[in-house]
Amino acid sequence: MNADVLRLDLRLRRRILIGTAVGAAAYLFLIVAMYPSFKHDTSLDAMIAANPTAAAAFGVTGSITSPAGWLNANMYANFAPLLALLLTIGYGAAAIAGQDADGTLGMVANTPLSRLRLLGQKATALLLVSLVVPVASYAACLPGPHFGLDPGWGRLAGISLAVTLLAFDLGALALLVGAATGSRGAALGVASAVAGAAYLVASLAPVVSAFHRIRWLSPFTWAVGSDQLATGVTIGEAGALLGLGVLLVAASVPALERLDIH
Amino acid sequence: MSAAPIVVDHLTKSFGTSRAVDDVSLTVTEGQVFGFLGPNGAGKSTTIRCLLGLYRPTSGRAAVLGHDPAARDRSFLWDVGYLPGELRLPEQLTGADILRRFASMRGLRDTAYQRQLVARLGADLTRPLRTLSKGNKQKIGIVLALMHRPRLLVLDEPTSGLDPLLQDEFLTLLRETVEDGRTVLLSSHDLDEVQRIVQRIAVIKEGRIVLDDTIEALRASAPRTIELTFDRDTDATALAAVPGVTVRTATGRRVTLSHTGPPGPVLSVIASLQPETITARPADLDELFLRLYGTDDKDRP
Repeated sequence: MNADVLRLDLRLRRRILIGTAVGAAAYLFLIVAMYPSFKHDTSLDAMIAANPTAAAAFGVTGSITSPAGWLNANMYANFAPLLALLLTIGYGAAAIAGQDADGTLGMVANTPLSRLRLLGQKATALLLVSLVVPVASYAACLPGPHFGLDPGWGRLAGISLAVTLLAFDLGALALLVGAATGSRGAALGVASAVAGAAYLVASLAPVVSAFHRIRWLSPFTWAVGSDQLATGVTIGEAGALLGLGVLLVAASVPALERLDIH
Repeated sequence: MSAAPIVVDHLTKSFGTSRAVDDVSLTVTEGQVFGFLGPNGAGKSTTIRCLLGLYRPTSGRAAVLGHDPAARDRSFLWDVGYLPGELRLPEQLTGADILRRFASMRGLRDTAYQRQLVARLGADLTRPLRTLSKGNKQKIGIVLALMHRPRLLVLDEPTSGLDPLLQDEFLTLLRETVEDGRTVLLSSHDLDEVQRIVQRIAVIKEGRIVLDDTIEALRASAPRTIELTFDRDTDATALAAVPGVTVRTATGRRVTLSHTGPPGPVLSVIASLQPETITARPADLDELFLRLYGTDDKDRP
């Protein structure tokens, strides 16, 4: 498959992708390296138990001094999805609507590439963008055993996949809104609003009963909202995340076919 | 004989309630440079985007190299080169990087002609586009449009930003293109740019085609300017009554008029007025186009 559009898009975002990957890995390495100082600190768990609502707002529940709890509280329940979503929503909004507003999409759309193949390359680029933070984070955890932190490599791989798919889904939502409206602002706004609402529902579900009843609607619940680093990502959760992404990309096909490209 | 490279049939494109292109029909025949003229915002670029499948027409249809550009099949674009009116390319890339990537997108393996174009235009490929002047970016755009030797070239305001020497080189490239049997649709708001090379012209104004004819026929029918001076104050009313005559200025002893059609009737009236001097200038396309463009043009989306 010719992947020129994919390569071009990744080249244009090279700096932000590398910068975010390095930043995420450096931050998580520090978290991993600090683990020995906190793993026996029971006052942290007591503080979480005393302030469950505030902790829940950061996606933190249960013990945070266990290896899984430590990584979850400091990365996978909050920062990892946030960083990954910054990249994917940014790319999703730029890939169609942003490049159309810039006028650069027209030059690419004037090559013999069909819009279906164009979208296929954009979606593949989005998937690669989605992998950046989870892969960098996984790599940063590799020295964990040296610091007494064994995250459970299978479960870590599972939540890395889940964060990847979560980021892909919200990026695909931005892609869809951008293709449907041609507006980068609408794409960024809708995807960011949905991501914010979904995060709140998933993170506050343990302490807010109204959110608890609808928590299953939130992709954050499917990815990181059920303590997946400790319990593992289920096939159902991964399937739901994957299905949502496929659905959103499929819906983008007719939207892009109808879009007037400038 | 193959079908005309471009056939547009009652094409209309609306944005909301505004009609940017309104019931446009035209045909561009093979091996021709076709001038597509109109003031800014008249609908030239919108028509072109419909031809390239970038816009979907609201009604009507077009055929480009025998294909419907609104269809999903984009294979006709292998044989089309396009230079947009406002060229936008990734600013952080160098010209070399852009040419390499777009050559790959077009499956272009033999880049000898691309290199030849770069040399002829003096394009700077080493610096990021954001550091280049408009004219130097335009050179990259021209190479992108021409490098795969397309059967059909669609050029929207192509010489924008080019200095006069490069404009001449560009026109030479276009002449070589049509000598090769290929076809050019050249859009411009500038008659001077177009009339040096085109065989046929269509003029679009406020979304509608107001003229579509060959250059020869236009020159034959274009208004001639006649200037008269008198040794006394003269009433030009009799001149204004002659069919085909428009009195442009009348200041007592000096009258300037535009004239189309057979010269007999106007010469008879001029002779009866006994002017002191008569000066007649040849057919003037500028005059024709200024009339067509009018003065109430508004920019459209």
